[in-house]
Amino acid sequence: MPVLRMEGLGRKFGATWAVRDLSLDVRAGEVLGLLGPNGAGKTTTVRLLAALIAPTAGHAWVDGIEIREAPDEIRARVGILTETPGLYDKLSAERNLDYFGKLHRLPAAVRAERIERWMVALGMWDRRRDPAGTLSKGTKQKLAIIRALLHEPRVVFLDEPTAALDPEAAYVVREAIAILRAEGRTIVLCTHNLDEAERLCDRIAFLRGSLLRVDSPARLRGELGGGRVTIRLAEPASPALIAAVEALSVVRLVEHESGTLGVRVENEKHDAPIVVRAIVDAGGGVVEVRPEVGTLEQVYFEIMGVRPGAGDPDSAREVA
Amino acid sequence: MRLAMPRPDIVAAVVTRDWEETLRNRLLLATILVPPVVLTIVPLIVGGVTTGLPLPAAVARQAIALRPDWASLSPGELTAALVIQQFLVFFLMMPAYIPLSIASYSIIGEKTSRSLEAVLSTPIRTIELLAGKAISALLPGVAVGWLTYVALIGLTAMLYSPGLVGVVTDDSWLAGVFLLGPAVGLASVVAGVIVSARVSDPRTAQQIGGIIIVPLVGVAVIQASATVLFGGPSYALGALIVLIISLMGLVLGARLFGRETILTRWR
Repeated sequence: MPVLRMEGLGRKFGATWAVRDLSLDVRAGEVLGLLGPNGAGKTTTVRLLAALIAPTAGHAWVDGIEIREAPDEIRARVGILTETPGLYDKLSAERNLDYFGKLHRLPAAVRAERIERWMVALGMWDRRRDPAGTLSKGTKQKLAIIRALLHEPRVVFLDEPTAALDPEAAYVVREAIAILRAEGRTIVLCTHNLDEAERLCDRIAFLRGSLLRVDSPARLRGELGGGRVTIRLAEPASPALIAAVEALSVVRLVEHESGTLGVRVENEKHDAPIVVRAIVDAGGGVVEVRPEVGTLEQVYFEIMGVRPGAGDPDSAREVA
Repeated sequence: MRLAMPRPDIVAAVVTRDWEETLRNRLLLATILVPPVVLTIVPLIVGGVTTGLPLPAAVARQAIALRPDWASLSPGELTAALVIQQFLVFFLMMPAYIPLSIASYSIIGEKTSRSLEAVLSTPIRTIELLAGKAISALLPGVAVGWLTYVALIGLTAMLYSPGLVGVVTDDSWLAGVFLLGPAVGLASVVAGVIVSARVSDPRTAQQIGGIIIVPLVGVAVIQASATVLFGGPSYALGALIVLIISLMGLVLGARLFGRETILTRWR
């Protein structure tokens, strides 16, 4: 049975749907990445699943509980790392955690034990008495992660955990997420960072108001990103040569600029010789062949239907 | 529909945390602690200075007509009684502005630090959050007002005649300090919640919420002329009216404190 189940889930703000018709299952212990541009509905989806806001349409279950039926119970079973750490700067790191432990009605001894265990695990124990306001961004984010875990939630939502962090702080936070992953927790990770999603997620869901695609990073790269072969020619390509390459079944797209062909193929290693043979057969001369592995970035642009620098068609649609 | 009752342990956790933060906020602490000291000392000094200065005969007659119990006071004591009586209004302002300050800092502080979303992600009920915020703001204001009043009585007894002690312990003071004061405090908390939901700076919230003090200033002006001296029943009636208005405001405040409203509209 999935830990998270969504069926036609949607939420409208005024006349605008932030997210709609979302149907997806997340298995226990799975790390699901939610990818999409700003305003794609990632945060709204997390808020819906955490029973912070009510859906306008559809249903969702967390650990078998429908989100509208027992929102208090849902909130007891999920942990959220919000976009900003949202800590009380004047209180110590320990007191921040203790307060949230009380809100989860954990007994004092349990709070003390879990605070110590997590602070030690994330290398924060020495900073426990420091006011939260004095901690670095990365350490604050780690503190917020511990806060989300104090009540031992079945599902952890991490909403852009490394946004606005410098590389060192982002590394520290990613290490913390890797620990959670190793513990077998079910994690939903909203991120703009494609590399982070690829490294940490079992599956990636692309969202833009609705669910566009969900699959493992490897399958997505294989099916959509494919590979690219950059071929430097001895002379600029003739229309006949380009047509010959385009006619190949393994070729998806051909770009030609200043005597260089950029050829999108399904598998760069397997398909490069086929393309080279076609060029030679069409009378072209090959100076250099450079196969390039498909990236999640390519997948992202393909699924979102955008080209870098061409602008975001939905950029005006910023909601919640 | 059955209303979910606030759970005391959760409310206590909110109150304790708010107080911890208040104690670390020097500016807010000064706002809470300085005025009570001033309000204890100033009435006594002003009362002492004016004791030797008799009122104009017409004003004295009017004051005694309004407050027959002051007829036994000497002319000098009558002056001091009239002056000290004016300070009752300030004792009503204390439970108004202290909760307003605390509520403004507390709610806007949570807004600016973006901690409310994390709080609302826990199983806390919004009524518990609202109750915690209200209690953490109201109690210090009321407690400080009462303690200051007790100090005023003690010092009056030490420094002045039993007649003046009678003035500061008559039914107008008792009803004012113990009934109208807390009611005004509650109104102030409600104003703090409503205004704080709409603005993002504690000082702006205090300035706007400070409108609540205007009627009290009106009372002060009327009393200063000695044309009207409000007695215990007037203050008790005032407390009832303020309480009703506060409860109506509380319904509006509770709506503004809805989980979805906070998450999607508070900026």
